[in-house]
Amino acid sequence: MSTEQIIFYFFAALVLISAFMVVSMHNLVRSIFLFFVTLFSLAALYVFAFADFVAVTQVVIYVGGVLVLMLFAFMLSNKELLSKINPVNGLIRINHIAGILVCVLFLFILLNVIIQTDFENLKWIKAADQISTNDNTVHLIGIQTMTRYLLPFEVLSVLLLMALVGAAHLARKERKV
Amino acid sequence: MIPLSHFLLISACLFCIGLYGVLTKRNAIQVLIGIEFMINAAVLNFVAFGRYDAEQGGGQMFALFAIILAAAGVAVALAIILNVYKHFKTIDPVKTDTLKD
Amino acid sequence: MESMYFADSQIFLVSAVVVLPLISFLFILAGKRFNTENLALFHIAVSFILSVYLFTGIWNKQTVHLQWSWFSIGNVEFKVGILLNNLSVLMMVLVSGIATLVHVYSRAYMKGDPDIYRYWAYLGLFCFSMLGLVVSDSLLLIYLFWELVGFSSYLLIGFWYTRDSAARASKKAFIMNRIGDLGFLTGIMIIYQQFRTFDLSLLFAENGLIQASFIQEAMWISGTSGMPEIWLTVAGVAFFLGAMAKSAQFPLHTWLPDAMEGPTAVSSLIHAATMVAAGVFLIARIYPVFNLQVLNFMVIIGTITAFMAATIALTQNDIKRILAYSTVSQLGFMIMALGIGAYSESIFHLSTHAFFKCLLFLAAGAVIHEMHHNRDKYGLDFDYQDIRLMGGLKKQMPLAFISMCIASAALVGLPLTSGFLSKDSMLIKVFEWADSQTGILKIIPYLMLLSSALTAFYISRLIFKVFFSKPQPVSIPVVSDAKDAPGQMTVVLLILALFSTFLPFGLNPLSYETSWLWSGFSSSEILKQELYHQIIPFMVNTISAGMIVLAYRMYVQNKPFRFVSDESFLYRFSSGEWYLNQFYSFAFVKPIEKVALLSWRFDRYVIDAIVLSAAVVVRRISDFSKWTDKNIVDGAVNGSASLVAWAGSIFRMFQSGRLQHYLLSVLIVLLTFLILIFLI
Repeated sequence: MSTEQIIFYFFAALVLISAFMVVSMHNLVRSIFLFFVTLFSLAALYVFAFADFVAVTQVVIYVGGVLVLMLFAFMLSNKELLSKINPVNGLIRINHIAGILVCVLFLFILLNVIIQTDFENLKWIKAADQISTNDNTVHLIGIQTMTRYLLPFEVLSVLLLMALVGAAHLARKERKV
Repeated sequence: MIPLSHFLLISACLFCIGLYGVLTKRNAIQVLIGIEFMINAAVLNFVAFGRYDAEQGGGQMFALFAIILAAAGVAVALAIILNVYKHFKTIDPVKTDTLKD
Repeated sequence: MESMYFADSQIFLVSAVVVLPLISFLFILAGKRFNTENLALFHIAVSFILSVYLFTGIWNKQTVHLQWSWFSIGNVEFKVGILLNNLSVLMMVLVSGIATLVHVYSRAYMKGDPDIYRYWAYLGLFCFSMLGLVVSDSLLLIYLFWELVGFSSYLLIGFWYTRDSAARASKKAFIMNRIGDLGFLTGIMIIYQQFRTFDLSLLFAENGLIQASFIQEAMWISGTSGMPEIWLTVAGVAFFLGAMAKSAQFPLHTWLPDAMEGPTAVSSLIHAATMVAAGVFLIARIYPVFNLQVLNFMVIIGTITAFMAATIALTQNDIKRILAYSTVSQLGFMIMALGIGAYSESIFHLSTHAFFKCLLFLAAGAVIHEMHHNRDKYGLDFDYQDIRLMGGLKKQMPLAFISMCIASAALVGLPLTSGFLSKDSMLIKVFEWADSQTGILKIIPYLMLLSSALTAFYISRLIFKVFFSKPQPVSIPVVSDAKDAPGQMTVVLLILALFSTFLPFGLNPLSYETSWLWSGFSSSEILKQELYHQIIPFMVNTISAGMIVLAYRMYVQNKPFRFVSDESFLYRFSSGEWYLNQFYSFAFVKPIEKVALLSWRFDRYVIDAIVLSAAVVVRRISDFSKWTDKNIVDGAVNGSASLVAWAGSIFRMFQSGRLQHYLLSVLIVLLTFLILIFLI
């Protein structure tokens, strides 16, 4: 076990544990903060996949944007938003059996597919040049954005505009006529 | 090197946890968090496969796009949740069942 | 040629005679209020005149027989026609003559009755049927008119139908006549079976079929057909049964006294002179069919009847009932005479009896009319027909008294009356006949002699009680105010009184053989013994005179005869009419009524119960099918609908409106897909 692997497995465990705690907690505040932990751990995992720009983008956008947005939306809303949550007893409720079952089965299938696939012997994996740490991913990403993926880039900006306008309109205060 | 399958395993687990959250939570924001988990799992998949694409970096590109779209989606979703609350006075998806037959 | 011409016009005459009263009947029924009495009188008078004309043309001159085809069954043809011989025309004149007199009498007697138009109509019907009866030439046709006569009698007896006793009497008459009709019909059937014809002239003429048939080896043979000889006797008895009912012989005589419920004029016409004579007429018409056994049977029945009726008449108190039993007794005489073979004597007596009996009834009617009228005038209440309450009417109603005396003398058979000729002829003949008989038949003449004596007694009892003796206190005012009858009635009485004397029948008052009527018919084969011709009239009249004197002593001078008292058995037996009515009621009427009641009960409680239970069964079935329809059929239909609704409500549960459920179902499907691919 090299150091790399140990750190990798540590961050992986962190992701999974915090993710699990997020979905099993009933208190919304706690789950949002644990979500924050999950996102950070994910960013670390991205680094292990030699996608450093993506990791940083993840932190900036997700943690700094999405998470903060959620926090603000949650904090600045009425108290009734929180108080309407039903108090529950016990960790696992009987209504969740179906959900649990479906998820377990999905997991089972996915794991089976993944385990049974022999990734190392795939041609394109064997033939691929792996990105090393010396590569300049930012450089790569910049060039690709402007050449190959220009259209999606532009469309994305339009889409963001749409989302902005839409969300602002949706959240407007109705004026009493 | 970390084998590809490990990344995929983690992403599968994360996806299922997110799915569990979507299916079972009584708070719309927690459902949104579950959706975010699923999207993040997909992004992790993209990035894992992108390790073997050095010349074009398609995996990382897509991961970026996915992150951006997820963010936009969250913004709109929160606006919707606000409107739902204004109408139903609750954000419990169990309580918003006026589509019931 | 002349006879042919006469024959053609005779058809018209005969049909006119017969049909005219029928026309009167129909017109009166149709017109009702329009001058009915004159119409009826006119018709019957014209009938009478035409009958007399026919009489002059046919009596002892020729026999007319005309036939027409009536109907045919298969290849058997039935004919209908007219047969006119001495017997027919004599009866025609008798019937139409007496009917005319009764019509005249009734104009006064029935005056003021509200239903008078019905009376004239029924009289017309009766005359039509009686005239038709005497001219018919076929047994079937005689039967038809026989029934009609019975029916008219029923209508006329029950003329005052609102009276219960009258309704019952008319029913009784009709039913007893029906018993006789049954016999008559049986006789007709036997005759037809043997001879295949109904024609009187073929059957009963001098050389007719009946004379030609013979008995051989216990078979009655005629031509090619034969039957056991017992049937000849049966046919004779059957025909005689018909005559017994119609002419009121024992034991079918009980209807005649009750038939006095009808108006007195009706009683005189129908039940004295004509209808009851129809039985005698029938026997005379079909005389050759009777063999010796039947004739002897006839003699016995006639004797019993004559004797019985005479004994009953001794103690009756209703004036009309006495006369009714007298009629029964005299009919017994006639039947007996026919039985011994004294054909012409019987017909002779029939004719004379018609006149004096009719006169007796009409005179009694005059007396009753006065008593009734005065009783109502004085507002009293007693039976105006009871002779014990009458008396001393000799001075008040002289003409009625005289005519009644003459008629009674004729009934008794005193000299110088018509009755003397006819009755004594019968008595002489019966003594001559008895000489050739053996055993019990030898006492018959003595019984007839006794009956004659009793006849004298009861009729003089009637005369003395009604006209001579002192009236009872209750009826004194009524009696003392009585007057003689109105003009029309008295004229009729006088005409009939004339016919009761010997004059219309022959110029010699003492010998019947010189009478033209007697010589119009065949004489009997009884050996004539001159001795009887001398002694019998003398003996009979002496005994009768003695009886009259006895009656005078008992009822006018009030010296009662100690032979029988009012409470003795014989008296009660006689006045109770030999208790025959009670016997018939016990033996026949009550059992039949019981059977009728049982049948009614059976019908009501068993058959109706079955029908009702069938109805109940049907209702139960319909209830069941209703239940089936409601629960099973409708249930199936409704059930399938509710099944669909239930299935729908099950499936509806998928649409919970909950977002997470929708997502869950999508994932489950996807999962199923994946598992299947994964496993397969």
